[in-house]
Amino acid sequence: MSFLTMAWRYLQFRWLVSLLTISGIAIGVALVCAVLALREESRKALSRDAGLYDLVVGGKGSPLQLVLASVYHLDSPTGNLPYSDYQKILRDPRVFWAAPVGLGDNYSGYRIVGTEAQFFDLPDRSGKPFFRLAHGQVFRDRFEVVLGSQVASSTNLEIGDLFFGTHGLVEVAGAEVHRDFPYQVSGILAPTGTAQDRAIFGTLSSVWEIHETEDRLHSAIQGSALLQGRKERETTAILIRLKTPGLRLWMADEIREGTDGIAAVPINEILRFQQGIIGPVQRVLLIVAAAVVAVACLTVLITLYQAAERRRRDIAILRSLGALPSEVAMLVFTEGLLLTAGGILFGLLLGHGGLAATALAFQEATGLMLDPWRIPVTELIALAIMGMSGATASLFPAIFSYRRTPIHDLRLSE
Amino acid sequence: MIRLNKVSLCLGNAGPSSSVQFHLPSFEVEEGEAVALTGPSGCGKSTLLNLTAGLLRADKGEVQVAGVNLADLSPAQMDRHRGSHCGMVFQSFHLLAPFTAIENVCIGLRFGCRKRLNLQERAAEVLSRVGLEDRMHARPDQLSVGERQRVAIARAMVSGASILLADEPTGSLDPETGGEIFKLLREVANENDRTLLMVTHDETLAAKMPRTFDCSGLFRSERINLEEETAAR
Repeated sequence: MSFLTMAWRYLQFRWLVSLLTISGIAIGVALVCAVLALREESRKALSRDAGLYDLVVGGKGSPLQLVLASVYHLDSPTGNLPYSDYQKILRDPRVFWAAPVGLGDNYSGYRIVGTEAQFFDLPDRSGKPFFRLAHGQVFRDRFEVVLGSQVASSTNLEIGDLFFGTHGLVEVAGAEVHRDFPYQVSGILAPTGTAQDRAIFGTLSSVWEIHETEDRLHSAIQGSALLQGRKERETTAILIRLKTPGLRLWMADEIREGTDGIAAVPINEILRFQQGIIGPVQRVLLIVAAAVVAVACLTVLITLYQAAERRRRDIAILRSLGALPSEVAMLVFTEGLLLTAGGILFGLLLGHGGLAATALAFQEATGLMLDPWRIPVTELIALAIMGMSGATASLFPAIFSYRRTPIHDLRLSE
Repeated sequence: MIRLNKVSLCLGNAGPSSSVQFHLPSFEVEEGEAVALTGPSGCGKSTLLNLTAGLLRADKGEVQVAGVNLADLSPAQMDRHRGSHCGMVFQSFHLLAPFTAIENVCIGLRFGCRKRLNLQERAAEVLSRVGLEDRMHARPDQLSVGERQRVAIARAMVSGASILLADEPTGSLDPETGGEIFKLLREVANENDRTLLMVTHDETLAAKMPRTFDCSGLFRSERINLEEETAAR
């Protein structure tokens, strides 16, 4: 009969205490796993979006706000730029790809992004197409739209369906619905695992048309003078991929000097955002999780110590049968290892299972697609540290058992 | 087989200026012999048994068991020596509660005999010998007290120990069951020419043993000679 079998039988014998100890470790491990996996996955997911574009140009304001609004469809835009700025950038020989972004309306809380058809031609960094159409085709006419995968699944819109946009970037009760301008779904994108899954893409000209018509109507109702001629058309932001990413900062400086707007490097803004805002929150969560694990390891120590104390008689019996002090210590240590291993395994399943269960809700809230079962290297390191902590905690009761003299404990009753 | 010569052992203080001392001038048991250790409670019967088992170490004198002077052994060597030469049977059985009868016997074999054996097969064979072939997979709390002591006897003999040390093996049993257990102990000792050393209060059982050894007077309270102790230090 091996130590493993004997240790297992002892754990089975006091199954409730064993289960509670394993649960304690598992909760700590699950927290650590979830925080680390979430950090790694969200970093990857955020970088996937940010890495698509070398520069984002927009009206004066916060660069982070500009990136969040035009790349992640989250914040309010900073302000508009003349459309002629976009045309100028498009002619720049250093530019590999550029697309305008016009914002202003939403449907069921999903932003309607006015752009141009080449928006979908952007390849990812390995040269493969980033956008793929799951159904239908790219918009060809005004008021045709392509839906991000998440929009399609949550709104149940299908190819050919009509809907009306609502004024504003977020869904607000009583907001103005543009009933004269129905959009028609021409295509649905395949999931990209990025914020683009949460957007509706249409032509920039349709965004202009809706708002210019509405502006004229409002002016007429209010009795003010009709718009004299046509106001210069604008774009909310311009997304740019350069032929060489190394030119980012140089070109950003040129844009800042040559236009009324600002140019932000998305990946830099997101890294700053992660380090400055998300990082500290995650660090606090990690500290909490580490504290839970430490308490759990302490529980292993106390549980095993109490078990060893209660089992003084059993240990003495084993010694009377010829078991060496080292063998008795090894038996107690094996029990500790089993508890730790059980806790880690259970915690791993709990943590990643929890991520898997909430991945969809997380994606709906943030647009970021997680791979809940991927285990990052940092998590493996954390698991190794937790395993070693559990083993260290098991060592103390093992030493206690090693040092017992059997003669006194044999007199103890059952 | 067992030889204790001029053995003394201090077992703690009996007051501020006196200590309890165990003194045994001489005690010998031959191979295959069966001896009952008798005497009133607290006279030193169990101490003599534990000295033989190596669970207690003598302060002075010689304890030889199976040709080995126990004073020469390290604690680990002592454990191994006990496991391979001495099978112990206790008054309160001392079975391990999480394990079945056959597993308890397997554990005795695992630590007592360090040869590679088929533990289950050997344990089953010994349990059948003590009449528990149908109760092998019962846990101690599912066994009667008599059955528990049978398992303890099986565990003591499974490793092939040449000495059986029984500390009041019938003390927790009713007279009828006690009689059966005593009979079984004698039988298994005789079968393999094992030496049997049995502590008992039961005079009837002691009378059935070929030899008795009265342990009365082995303990005495001694004044501590402070001057001598200081000088010795």
